[in-house]
This record gives sequence, structure tokens and C-alpha cells, in this order.
Amino acid sequence: MAIVTVDPSGEEIYLPADQTVLGGLYAAGYAYTIGCRRGGCGVCKVDLLEGGVTYDHPVADDVLSREERQEGVCLTCRAVPDGDITVRFRSGSLRLVQPLLRSLNEKSRLQAAASAPQPKE
Amino acid sequence: MGIMRMGYAHVRVTDLAEAKDHYANTMGLYQTLEQDGRVYYKGWDEWDHHSVVLEEGGVGVVKFGFKVEYESDLDVIEKKAQQFGLTVERMSAGENPEVSDGIRFITPSEHVLEVYHGQTVIGTEVGTHNPDAFPRHLVGIGVPALDHALIFAEDVRLMENMFREVFDYFPTERVQTDLDDDDAHFIASWMTSNNQIHQIAILEGEQSKLHHFAFKLQDWNEVGRAADIMTMDDVPIDIGPTRHGITRGQTVYFFDPSGNRNEVFAGGYPAYRDRPINKWTPDQIAKGIFYHARELNERFTTVYT
Repeated sequence: MAIVTVDPSGEEIYLPADQTVLGGLYAAGYAYTIGCRRGGCGVCKVDLLEGGVTYDHPVADDVLSREERQEGVCLTCRAVPDGDITVRFRSGSLRLVQPLLRSLNEKSRLQAAASAPQPKE
Repeated sequence: MGIMRMGYAHVRVTDLAEAKDHYANTMGLYQTLEQDGRVYYKGWDEWDHHSVVLEEGGVGVVKFGFKVEYESDLDVIEKKAQQFGLTVERMSAGENPEVSDGIRFITPSEHVLEVYHGQTVIGTEVGTHNPDAFPRHLVGIGVPALDHALIFAEDVRLMENMFREVFDYFPTERVQTDLDDDDAHFIASWMTSNNQIHQIAILEGEQSKLHHFAFKLQDWNEVGRAADIMTMDDVPIDIGPTRHGITRGQTVYFFDPSGNRNEVFAGGYPAYRDRPINKWTPDQIAKGIFYHARELNERFTTVYT
């Protein structure tokens, strides 16, 4: 699992294991500007401020260049967080279009936080 | 007689196994060859060896092939291409498996086009001897054949001129800024060599890019059923089922597992050289592209490979 924190609003969204950033945000009721959803067009890129991601499919170099990867550009439809990440959206802000899904996600996030091992004092 | 049709689309895919699943099991194409990392397919109602070629690595289009009726057509088209200012090279038989010799050139839009006169004939899946109407055990959507492609170009008018002068194509519909052709800026053009409403379309945009390539279907029922299958197979649908105002075709736009846009396309009225061109003005382009929504989604001009 991972928590995606959205900069600068600070919204926190829970992602189950192995879920892509795009898949997780949509499953939590959010929407933003996306394209083919299969790694071909590059429209769903965001900037990764903290944390790392792993791509669950090969991504073409002309969709996500080596420089972009180094700069922390994240192709959200194919990126699975390695752990908690912080992202900033580029064109247009992340918008909540399904509050019901968002409230379910909040429950999952709180449950996950409650069951996580507590750091020792 | 010249160009008969777009014979093949050769595209790149990031994951060959997923792409094979899509084109064989969702689209229902028949695999005819796998060799040197490339996979070749035909639709059930196509008789030539292949109409789709997949190549692993990257996304977008590698090249398109166009079939002429006679070998001698190659000489004519080569000469016209040279007169247009294009650099033409000869390709030998077998450079593309099961494809004859031909010519190859790069368009002003930086797309690679090949022209050939023959492919190994495999035959349709229903044959020619007292044939049945369709094969009994089609897989998935079961598309019968490749239909057309939409490509991007910086200069649509230049590309229209090229297809007219080199391929003897004629435009059936156009998006243009002024109804007077001389004053107009061409934004998009739909072109063909015969009664098929379009074999190629050109839209203003980034050089060398692919908007989509399309497969033929019969009618609304088949287009609706295709969309149902896409849902069953979790194929991302871009838009549809809907109608294009331009061509009047019925359509679903969707994406293959690498993000290349595909289309299933049905209908379209018969094209004739002497039929006046349908002209669309930019203020009505949304109705031209998506006839029911009359609103362009943000993906139409921004999402491509």
C-alpha cells in the first residue's frame, strides 16, 4: 500500500498494493487530465516531489525520456508507488468528482494507518 | 488503375504479449506470421497475407503500405513522387515478408509510405467457393479488415496536394477556415482513390505522429457490440459509440495496450470523384468529429502516439 499526498493541498489518498497512481486516484473518486491510460500519450504526467515509483510496463523513451525520469516526472497510468509519494499536478488541478468514493478511500486510509506497526519510542 | 487501398499499418507496441492478446483476442485478427520480433495479422475478410504488423519497442506508426493494382503502377507513382520533390527508394521483394517489390518514400509529414503490387494470397476465411457469409467462430469483435488511418501533419494542404498528385487521391471532406479554397487554411482533409469514403485522413498537428488506424465494421449493431467486447476486455474507450458528422461513419475510438488509438468504423457514404467536397468550418468541427456530443473531448487533438 501507499499514500499519495497531493501538493500543495495536502490531500492524502490511499492506494492498495500494486495499484498505479492513476488507477488509485480514479478509484478514490478523483479526476484529472488523462489520455490513453496505457502509457502511450504522456498526457497524465505529474511531478513527483517525494518518494519513488516503479513502472509496471515498459514505457517508450519518446513518451517519458531519461531526463524526465531523472527530474522526477511520473507517468501516472503506469507508475506504481514504491512507498508513500508526494505529487504535484501540472495542467489543471486534481478535482474530486465522486465524494462517495473519496469517503470510502478515507476509511481505507485510516484502517491502514491503524494497522501499521507503531514506531518504537 | 493505381492505388487500391491502404494495405497495411505497421505499428510499434511497448509489450508484444499484451498487444498480441489485444489484436488477436479482442479485435479477432488472424495471426499469419511471427518472425524477427514482428507479428503479422489479417482480418477474416482479407485475402492478402497481412494488414497489421506489430513490432516491439516504443509506440506509434513505423510505416503504412498501399497496394496498387499493376506492377507498372509503381513506375508511374515513382515518377510522380519524384516530380513532387520526394526522394523515392526501391524496395525489393521480401524486405517485408510476403510482400512484393515496390517503392518507399518519406512524406512531407515525415511518415514512411510504401507502395507495392502484391502480397502472398492466403484467401479470406470463408474462401471463394460457394462462401458462407462470415466465419462461424470469430474471436472477440472479429473485424473483417483494416480500413483507414488518420495521421498528423504540420501542413495539411501540402499533404493533400501530395496525395492528389502522387497517389491520384481526391478529397471527400475537409475542415477549412474559409469556404473559398484559395483563401482557406486547411485544418484537416479526408481522401480516397475509390468509393471508400476515406483511406487516409490528415489532421494539422505534430509531424510523423499517428492519431489512429481503423478497422471496418458493417453497421451500428456491430459497432455497439464491439464496444461491449471492449468493456469485457477492459479496453480503454476514448469515445463512442457515436457518429462522425464527417464521413457519416459510426465509430468507437479506443486504445490498444500500448496507447495507440484504434477505431472501429462502419458506414460512410460512397465517395465519387465528381461529388462536391463537404466542407466544414472550424466553428462546427466538434459536430463534424463527434456528431452527437457536438463537443470535442480534450483528448482528440492532444492524445496520440
